[in-house]
Amino acid sequence: MLSGRNRPLTYATAFLVVAGFSFLLLARYRAVVHAQLPAPKELAVFSPQATYTIPLLETNGRMYVGLVDLLEPLGSLESMPRGKKLKLRFNPAGGRPLELELQDGKDTGKVHGEKLKLPANFVLQNGRGYVPLSLVPDLLPRLGLQPIEYHAASQRLFVGNVVERYSAELKKGNPSRLLLGFSTPVNPTVATEPGKVRLTFRRDPVVAATDRVHYDDPLITGTAYSEHDGIAELEITGSAPLMANFADGGKTIIVTAAPGPPTTQQVQQIPVPIPQTAASLPSPVPRPPRPSFLVIIDPAHGGTDIGAAITPRLPEKDVVLALARRVQHELSARGIASSLLRNGDYAIGLDQRATSINAARPALYIALHAANTGKGVHVFTALLPTENTAPDSFLSWDSAQAAFADLSGSVAGSIAAELENRKLPNATLPAPLRPVNNVAAPAVAVEIAPPGQDTDEIASAPYQALIAQSIAAGVAAVRGKLPEVHP
Amino acid sequence: MTRRIVIIFAVLLCVAVGLGIYAWHLRRKVTAEEQRLNQQAQTEAPPANGPTSTITLYLASDANATLYRKQITIPLPAERSEQARAVLRALFGTYLQSGSPHPIGAGADIREVYLLNDGSAVVDTNQTFADTHPSGVLAEELTVASMVATINANDAHIGQVKIIVNGNERETLAGHADLRRFYPAANMVQLAKELQ
Repeated sequence: MLSGRNRPLTYATAFLVVAGFSFLLLARYRAVVHAQLPAPKELAVFSPQATYTIPLLETNGRMYVGLVDLLEPLGSLESMPRGKKLKLRFNPAGGRPLELELQDGKDTGKVHGEKLKLPANFVLQNGRGYVPLSLVPDLLPRLGLQPIEYHAASQRLFVGNVVERYSAELKKGNPSRLLLGFSTPVNPTVATEPGKVRLTFRRDPVVAATDRVHYDDPLITGTAYSEHDGIAELEITGSAPLMANFADGGKTIIVTAAPGPPTTQQVQQIPVPIPQTAASLPSPVPRPPRPSFLVIIDPAHGGTDIGAAITPRLPEKDVVLALARRVQHELSARGIASSLLRNGDYAIGLDQRATSINAARPALYIALHAANTGKGVHVFTALLPTENTAPDSFLSWDSAQAAFADLSGSVAGSIAAELENRKLPNATLPAPLRPVNNVAAPAVAVEIAPPGQDTDEIASAPYQALIAQSIAAGVAAVRGKLPEVHP
Repeated sequence: MTRRIVIIFAVLLCVAVGLGIYAWHLRRKVTAEEQRLNQQAQTEAPPANGPTSTITLYLASDANATLYRKQITIPLPAERSEQARAVLRALFGTYLQSGSPHPIGAGADIREVYLLNDGSAVVDTNQTFADTHPSGVLAEELTVASMVATINANDAHIGQVKIIVNGNERETLAGHADLRRFYPAANMVQLAKELQ
């Protein structure tokens, strides 16, 4: 037994030993956990229909990509999981419908009846099909999508004739100017530091013909092009501070000497697609022209917030993301510029959503929801007490939408009329819904429900296409009534 | 010294295992108690004490997105906040019946209704109500509108209503309807009329 004098000391020692041992175990466990958590990887897809990123799934040491995530923005898609089998009916834009059949755990499948060999087994998880990433460049042409250019190292996939190979021309003079020419407007992030300008292309399908170019010029000494993690970067180096200017509606970027030497490192950002912090950042770089009529489409929920469980395997967040892409496509077809607030599976808080929307200063905001309650489509405006507030005066955060109630009502009515034209059951109602209440612009929320008894029909391509057409046609019909917003 | 440490370590390990078993036992006990309370709440009728009175309910129907008025007779307590609670429990009782046109989660209940001097009412619902409520703009709006319109229809002095969950403010009911604000009864009564 312990002597009375030594007992406290022994207990304390024992406690310290146990605590230290536990700490070491915990530290080791944390180190193991962190070592096992890989950085999230994504595939960046550039196509005429949409530019988007898809999270990649690592299984058995291989990268897999979700078929629905990949194909949905590229055409009409119906996914029909049955047991271990998955059947997809895909109709590429302007092409003929094709069927793809795959089975969980098998490395063979069928494309329109013809055999398809996979480099590894197909994976079906929770009704979602995943194929090895390396299959994608071979699979897409067989689904009527070509040409395909895949940059495996940087995980950039170009579908269709979208690759933008820019031209670079050095105009010698005092000062010299480097003219970067693009066939369509581009919107890179621009970062400057002494002797360097870095252009980062996240949403533009920019590709360089040559990685490194050296110029025999006293000011601009060279360019270096690189790609990684779905983005392309072009670094222009010089012997003096440089700056970039946009010209020709964003089709030309002019790099030349900055007016004065900066005293400290300067970094200017042009955020895309929603300029959340643009208002607070002084920037000598003229921003590429932003459309004065911009519609923000907000597929609700995302990430761990799945929204309503339409069926056990069909969460609201997926249904509305697919619908949002269709609405964007339909708006684009009508010459209306739009931006998705969420273009992937990630969570955004209600206040964060409202902040982003208001910072973007849209001409119209459309929130998209889905539920298995009721039937057809419900178009909502904000349910707020009537306030006689001018839109250009100080607006309360909780009731900012009240100042736009009339315009929002016009949009809702127009969308409802288009739904009616397409014989879709619909109703227009006010609703206590955020972030609509906080939006300082005309705003509506659209909630879709199954058209009949079959709940799965809510995700069917024809049904969603009809709704997307109605929304886009409704917006186009009232476009003249909505004030344009000049940034 | 080493042997003593080993013994003490073993004793501490035994204590830790014992506490773990005890915690597991407590958790099972709490879960069983919650289930019992939920079942009790599900089958619980409005309070049977007090004289019977005819009350008005605004009942929601999901299928056609409507609210309709219905009068029923229930025993009502004398105190106003207890009356409001009894009225809302009668509303929930209707929604909890099988085949309800606007079902809510089993075990949903009203914990308390607090009446403030400025004509405001704060309705404290239980956690089950919010956690099991069907998610959707329409479904949640119909619930909120029917609660506010019903409480106002039976006590005209209540001018605005806020819904809280288990004593705490909650951002939304089930992901959609805003629960951070007071709902003016006039607004919801107007909405109820539009939805009839």
